[in-house]
Amino acid sequence: MAELPGKALAEELIGRSEAESRSTPFEDVIAAARTGMLDGDALNRLIGRLWTLERMFYYIYGGWGQGLEINDFPPSIKYLFSKQIVDESTHEMLYLDLLLRRKLVPTQKEAFRHPYGQFSVDSALALYVFSLRNLATYPHPVRIAALNLGPKIVEFAWMAALADVVADPDLKAAFTSQQVENRSHINMGRRIVEEFVAKPVDAEMCRWACRVAAQDYNRFLHELADLVLQRQTPPPPVQRVRVTD
Amino acid sequence: MSLKVDHARCTECRMCYIVCRELDINAVYVALEPLHRIEIDLDACTYPGCTACLMYCPAEGSIVEAATGRSMVPPPPEAWQA
Repeated sequence: MAELPGKALAEELIGRSEAESRSTPFEDVIAAARTGMLDGDALNRLIGRLWTLERMFYYIYGGWGQGLEINDFPPSIKYLFSKQIVDESTHEMLYLDLLLRRKLVPTQKEAFRHPYGQFSVDSALALYVFSLRNLATYPHPVRIAALNLGPKIVEFAWMAALADVVADPDLKAAFTSQQVENRSHINMGRRIVEEFVAKPVDAEMCRWACRVAAQDYNRFLHELADLVLQRQTPPPPVQRVRVTD
Repeated sequence: MSLKVDHARCTECRMCYIVCRELDINAVYVALEPLHRIEIDLDACTYPGCTACLMYCPAEGSIVEAATGRSMVPPPPEAWQA
């Protein structure tokens, strides 16, 4: 079998994200869950914000989908992307079901209006969403590298850790049941980078996009942890990038 | 009386989930297991008062009466009168 051109890059990006996933702003939430300090409303805040993020993926992927053209990639790549959209939609449904089952809101329409489910433009969640949506005009392997080999790996780690310790059986099942799909997104990201990122300029773009997505996701996790734990801590520093043209 | 999903026939298109949510009945949900199959909450489902899911289900025999096992897709004439 021929050596895949992006194999080393995929390994590099995965390795960096795995290292980052060992220490995230979510550690305190996991610790609070372990000691039984997360009450029902804290879980509602967590589920509400995760639902808000998940439903924004319709907006992100809507933009990404427009960046795919006829014959730019084999059908398998487009199949993998559609599968990822379906999975993300499933996760959105899981969180909405939980909000309804926990009776935080009586209807789906109310969930959109509830403070925990509202989308606010002035938030780290929005910054992360717009940051991902901004990748719509980039080549598909670059944006898939940014998300699937960046925040998805960090998310996989904290979600598994939280699922291990959270006492609420429904939330535990919601997290655990996502693991196969999330692992598949990481694997499909690895495959796409391995197969389609061959030129050094593309590899550098993948590194940049992955770094930006990870940084913005980290800020979202920090905001979410503060909201869940009802505290205010200084946000993580932002890496300044000098823009030239 | 309620409805349930026959997973041997259901294609997981989720039209039933969408219409049930839109009607604010919220009886159809995604199961909390790795296959994430669609299920119907027997306590929340208002069948035969509501038959909306039957009207949109494309897969013959995939929604059945829980008590009798009778196929409700395509919907029988009485379902249209609900």
